[in-house]
Amino acid sequence: MTQPVAGSRLRRILALIPWILTHPGVTISDLAHRFDVPESELESDLALLPLCGLPPYTADRLIDVWVGDDGAVSIRLAEYFERPLRLTPSEGVALLAAGRALLAVPGSDPHGPLATALDKLEAALGARGALSIDVGGSDNLDRLTHAAADSEQLEIDYYSFARDEMTTRVVDPLRVFHALGAWYLAAYCHRADAERLFRVDRVRAVRPTGESAPPHPSAGDDDLVDLVYRPDPSDPRVQLRLRPDAAWVAESLPTEDAKPRPDGGWDVVLAVSGPAFLERLLLRLGPAATVVGPATARAARSDAARRVLVRYER
Amino acid sequence: MVSERLERLVNLTATLLDTRRFLTLEELAARLEPSYPEDKVARRRAFSRDKETLRDLGVPITTSAIDGFSTEIGYRILPDDYYLPDPGLNVEERAALHVAVTAVRLDGGEAQEGLRKLGGVEGTGAPALAALAVTAGLAELFDAVARRRVVEFDYRGDPRRLEPYGVVHRFGHWYVVGRDQDKDAPRAFRIDRFDGPPRSGPDGAFEPPAGFDPSEGLRSDPMTYGDDRPVEARVLVDATRAAWVVDQLGDDAVVERRDDGAVVVQLAVVNREAFRAFVVGLLEHAEVLAPPELRSDLVDWLRAVAQSDA
Repeated sequence: MTQPVAGSRLRRILALIPWILTHPGVTISDLAHRFDVPESELESDLALLPLCGLPPYTADRLIDVWVGDDGAVSIRLAEYFERPLRLTPSEGVALLAAGRALLAVPGSDPHGPLATALDKLEAALGARGALSIDVGGSDNLDRLTHAAADSEQLEIDYYSFARDEMTTRVVDPLRVFHALGAWYLAAYCHRADAERLFRVDRVRAVRPTGESAPPHPSAGDDDLVDLVYRPDPSDPRVQLRLRPDAAWVAESLPTEDAKPRPDGGWDVVLAVSGPAFLERLLLRLGPAATVVGPATARAARSDAARRVLVRYER
Repeated sequence: MVSERLERLVNLTATLLDTRRFLTLEELAARLEPSYPEDKVARRRAFSRDKETLRDLGVPITTSAIDGFSTEIGYRILPDDYYLPDPGLNVEERAALHVAVTAVRLDGGEAQEGLRKLGGVEGTGAPALAALAVTAGLAELFDAVARRRVVEFDYRGDPRRLEPYGVVHRFGHWYVVGRDQDKDAPRAFRIDRFDGPPRSGPDGAFEPPAGFDPSEGLRSDPMTYGDDRPVEARVLVDATRAAWVVDQLGDDAVVERRDDGAVVVQLAVVNREAFRAFVVGLLEHAEVLAPPELRSDLVDWLRAVAQSDA
């Protein structure tokens, strides 16, 4: 498998040459940081270049690389590489998405360097105003972000969607982040005596306790999506057989197991974080899902349907 | 040998970029060092592999039939296709982009690769603040927006032709918004619900409306996507869930506030399935008041569910 290696090195070299051409005297260590590559790899890239150029590969047609004793690099005779390669659509959309998302976070400077950078980038891509990101937000987002930054202990009223209940608890906010379309607060919860995640849009009220939060081993810089999708091993599991029109369940919910069926449907196993989660899902799916097991899940479905029906039958 | 092939790839790119006319494979083989194998089959195979590597990187190779008696194909890279127009970023702007691609995590390393082309990382990054998923088809649709290409795709079994005006990320999903040519009306589609990859037509096929804001093309609530005949629905929400629902729908949706804290919200329903999901999501804390057809739809649905496991 030499191709991926050659491809990724070529990609780097095609970005490296234009930068050195327009910044003669840039040092090896600056380049290594800038292009996020070990100095030794960078040196072997630079060692390759004097072998490259245009036919007939005489001295006046080969790329001339000069590395000084101080590590300063210069390049000549590579004018055709003076501008970098265009951004691919994937690179363009990824850069704009990251930038627009950060700019949409409440508190970002709408006229700062990020905003002007994105405007310039969109103009260069011919895609002015072509991409928009809404990350949502609320008054509590700002409040919780500051509390996490200042280690301020809070009492919150929280609506637990999975259990369909309102609770009040004292928490030590650790960090606030956005994943899977929602804002989350990671906090040490004194009620559970453990770290818990709270969806910011379900935090109803925030009151300072007047205490400062003691330090906790932090939630760290993990994969954010993993932080959200971390099923509790003690959660009950339910097995569903889905019709093709319910395939979205297999695609958009965290499944423990998912097997496609010949008819386009799925067999899935889900971790049930709370009874209300399962009731909602089953009421929504209706005939599009069959509960394979356990029997308690089947009972939960008809029980929930009857509870709602009571409202319409009195 | 990796470095020999890499050397040839750099030289191939340089030669195709520098040439003023289309070059055939034979001409390339005669000029390039390290060159291609003598054997014709092996030569073609090695060249195809190189072309594929370059295409994967986004290097745009143009091909053309060469005039004359032969049916030979010529190759070159048009400078306008290759060179990134200088966006003119300053140091602060490059640093801000670096912060953005470290704070906002996307699947794949495409943002980092893009940043390299813009001059690499500047300053220090930031801890992870947000994660965005990248959906298959997003890059193609974004490209179609930029190039004004009409896209065709199948959406939940229906073929669609869309003039794409923009892509929008909201509620954790990517949408494409634009004008549906067959319906002659604005439409939004969730990209991960496409039945297959979109196919795009020629460049410059339409002109988007001046000052179009893609986020306005996406109505604020997923319940309002759909082609069902619009109906105004009223839903009573109990006090314990009222604040949460008003947060979701906005104050404008509230048509009545009761003394016990319950609210009545009004919604325009064009997607009955989404409306039902919303109402059953509130379990026994909500009730459809009107119109009678939606109320009886829901009752029929719940009765069927209640009996299914009896």
